[in-house]
Amino acid sequence: MTKRLAEFFILSLFLVLAVLLYGSTASYPASVQGSTAMYVRFLGMALGLLCALELLLWVKNRARAKTEKMQLAVAPVKFWGLLILLVVYACSLPLAGFYLASAIFLPLTMLLLGSRKPLSISLTTAGVLLFVFLVFVKLLEVPLPEGSLF
Amino acid sequence: MILQALQELFTPLSLLAIFIGTTSGVIVGGMPGLTATMAVALLIPITFALEPLTGLLLMGGVYCGAMYGGSIPAILLRTPGTPAAVATAMEGYPMTQSGRGGLALKVSVVASFTGGIFSAFVLLLIAPILATFALTFGPPEYFLLAILGLAGIVSMADDENRLVKALISGLIGLILAVVGTDPMSGMLRYTMGLTDLFDGVAFMPALIGMFSISQMLELTGAESIVADTSKITRIKSEPLPKGIFKPIGLGSLVGTIVGILPGEGATIAAFLSYNIARRRSKNPKLYGKGNPEGIAAAEAGNNGCVGGSLVPTLTLGIPGNSVAAALLGGLLIHGLIPGPELFTKYGVMTYAFILSLFIANLVFLVLGLFMAPYFARIALTPIALLIPVVCLFSVLGSYAMNNSVLDIFVALICGFVAILLQKTGFSLGALILGLILGPIAETGFAQALIMGHGSYAIFFDRPQAIALWVIILLLLVPPVYQIYKRQRAATTTGTTPENSMDE
Repeated sequence: MTKRLAEFFILSLFLVLAVLLYGSTASYPASVQGSTAMYVRFLGMALGLLCALELLLWVKNRARAKTEKMQLAVAPVKFWGLLILLVVYACSLPLAGFYLASAIFLPLTMLLLGSRKPLSISLTTAGVLLFVFLVFVKLLEVPLPEGSLF
Repeated sequence: MILQALQELFTPLSLLAIFIGTTSGVIVGGMPGLTATMAVALLIPITFALEPLTGLLLMGGVYCGAMYGGSIPAILLRTPGTPAAVATAMEGYPMTQSGRGGLALKVSVVASFTGGIFSAFVLLLIAPILATFALTFGPPEYFLLAILGLAGIVSMADDENRLVKALISGLIGLILAVVGTDPMSGMLRYTMGLTDLFDGVAFMPALIGMFSISQMLELTGAESIVADTSKITRIKSEPLPKGIFKPIGLGSLVGTIVGILPGEGATIAAFLSYNIARRRSKNPKLYGKGNPEGIAAAEAGNNGCVGGSLVPTLTLGIPGNSVAAALLGGLLIHGLIPGPELFTKYGVMTYAFILSLFIANLVFLVLGLFMAPYFARIALTPIALLIPVVCLFSVLGSYAMNNSVLDIFVALICGFVAILLQKTGFSLGALILGLILGPIAETGFAQALIMGHGSYAIFFDRPQAIALWVIILLLLVPPVYQIYKRQRAATTTGTTPENSMDE
């Protein structure tokens, strides 16, 4: 996909959002129709107008536009791999708890990103988890995600 | 009374409390997701066991330290430790990438110190007068203050095309801020039935996602944060850039004023200072590419907020921001009721507390200057180890704010969307500005319209409002004119505005 096409899709999405937002204020209570509903209507209208203007500029500049490819990542395997690992990590936190989920996430990510030294992977993982335990849990008493499975 | 306060202050226990408080503040502020408010609130039960003054000194130290500490990961890893450090990240991280992270840290600590000292002086000398002035601000003025902050969006745009995109980004931020409970009716809006969204989209996870996670995803294709690692070794010898004290002075003043206004936080102070410094700079084009002036203004601004926010807190019992509110809780627990008595009956303790802010600023200055070269070496950490660790702390930071797993997903979505938006020319800075200022703008706008019985005249009929309109226009007209001029020049020469800028 080219950058221009991605721009077009994003602007169209925002335009739809603007219309939906504007329309949604009709369901606001009557007491706020002159205050917060007005504010939200203004936001919807302003977004709609600006998106329309930007789309016009998009069409106007189409002739001289560069057909530059949209490159999300320089290293796609690492990029998408990290993103997937992050999503899996976030999903596993309420199930496995912070320590177990992190003890799996950290080494896997390090391996994905090219680290091949077992000692540095183990030491970094252990060091980070110990640091979190001492500072977050013991010192600051910040609650960490707890697992429901164990 | 001040001499007595000094005597109380220069005891080993008091000095130790300030040192421990400030150092802990720097550490807490340096961790994404742990804010100064959280640290001060956590300290309140600990201070029960301490003498009231020792407890206050500890809390004051944490406040000062945390405001500075937020800049360290912002500069080195583009992960703002506190929301107030976002503007710092925008300039600091490009400096780290070019091997000048040490200088960025140095500028940050000097600016934070100056802003902190200036605002402490203001607090010491003219607190009651300024507190009375702050009380004259009503909802219309708060709405205009938010608009003043949003005017920064225009500065983030370089040409007509980017201006529209920056405005769209700002509006998206404002729209995201609408999610949650309606401030007027209590109605739930766009929450999709998720209880975690009842208080709105938490901006710390959004910030972490947009700045930290997106950066870590981008770094997957790089070998190291710094292109030329040999530059890291030259950190110690680099002097402060010339003319840096102008944005520092500006930031200190703006930060103190914004801090005095009840409810206005360090984030707004930092953005506003950054924006004004950018407008007044001789080289505005260097902003966003690693300009130390931007760091100086933003850091002086958010640390200037410390003393400023304590003005209404100590004199009127109205906290200047959320950290000051937590600190106010600490004062009340120790039986110290804000007001005139605090400066008369409990004057020794109050002045000792105010004077301790000077020492706390000195502590983090020494700490920052001494440690900057060592902190900067973080940039040398291999990417394969750095990314997982930063991602873990980003996830933890997002969760820790509200103990919400949903916030982690907010951060991840924001991280991915940030990359898409950035690649297509939208402005993340503008989006964040909208998200942060949205609640203030909406509440101010709605309350003002109710006060004015639906008439928009309320936004123009008070001298304070007129003064704010003038400042807004002064901030808006020059950049819009510049963009228009560039556009015309580009049309005449037949080049695109972007090309004409490059030339």
